[in-house]
Amino acid sequence: MSTVKLMLRDDRTRFRPGEQIEGGVAWQLDRRAKSIEVRLFYYTKGKGTTDLVVVDHAKFEDPPPERAEKFEFCLPAAPYSFSGKLISLVWAVEAVVLPGKQSARLEFVVSPSGREIDLDQTQLHGDRAASDARAG
Amino acid sequence: MRARDNPFRTEQVLKVRYRLPGVGWEDFLDRLAALDYRAMILGPQGAGKTTLLEDLAPRLCARGFNPKLLRLRRDGPGFPPGFLGTFFAGLAAQDVILFDGADHLGRLAWARFKWRSRRARGLIATSHGRRLLPLLIECSTSLELLEAIIEEIPDSGAAKLRPLLPAMFRQHQGNLRNALRHCYDLCAANAASPRGEV
Repeated sequence: MSTVKLMLRDDRTRFRPGEQIEGGVAWQLDRRAKSIEVRLFYYTKGKGTTDLVVVDHAKFEDPPPERAEKFEFCLPAAPYSFSGKLISLVWAVEAVVLPGKQSARLEFVVSPSGREIDLDQTQLHGDRAASDARAG
Repeated sequence: MRARDNPFRTEQVLKVRYRLPGVGWEDFLDRLAALDYRAMILGPQGAGKTTLLEDLAPRLCARGFNPKLLRLRRDGPGFPPGFLGTFFAGLAAQDVILFDGADHLGRLAWARFKWRSRRARGLIATSHGRRLLPLLIECSTSLELLEAIIEEIPDSGAAKLRPLLPAMFRQHQGNLRNALRHCYDLCAANAASPRGEV
């Protein structure tokens, strides 16, 4: 069975917007593949339809049966990782063996603080600020 | 609970596939062949028609057919101008059209669609009630099916949800899609609970 593995440099799981993201992809193929594609993307999880946007990709054409390659992407300024009750926005890199469904995925956080933005807490702070302003 | 941790988030619910009642896929495909691959899937909203149609596609591929999926939503736009002309012009002898929401076409439009699809090997359509083609299967739901689906969803907190399910099933009139969205809301509202509890 073919295997494909992904890793991010220093096993990082938190990044800031605009930062460089570096990693490696390693594979062992038991049948010939056309290419191996590493994708940087973000997608939504939650109650509604899942939206997915591929921001960048690196392609390794005609891959040998076994190899490890490096990749690097520059993260855009937005969007930030966030979670609320109805929707979460999740950043990830994914390696896919083409053609086929063999893949590996790593999720990580992108935000100025390095922490996922909690919409419920943001709402709470907003409500408190509005309440303080009215009281003051 | 964060949306990405909600056990009833869309990606988890979509992993639950159609359960053919009392028949295996081979027998089901044989029945479809006996209907010359021109048949309809009937059932109310949230009964699994779309899921069944999606599950049919790879099995038709395995039998050497080329499934072509079309979808019309009740509240969505119709096909863009010129789309169907291009679609029908590109049909080949091994194509089987899987038309989800075919009953959203008017009667005249449906008659025209059927006529134009004659070059395809097959046409399988879903409908909420209108008889469009010979019946392949009538999808239905039950409280037991809802319970079984919730058991199948990882970390769903099935034991705690089970007492709520009879009322939920009645409230949504057997629409399992809406019942599962209801379960999502229950989990989302209970932010303080540890994962898997409701």
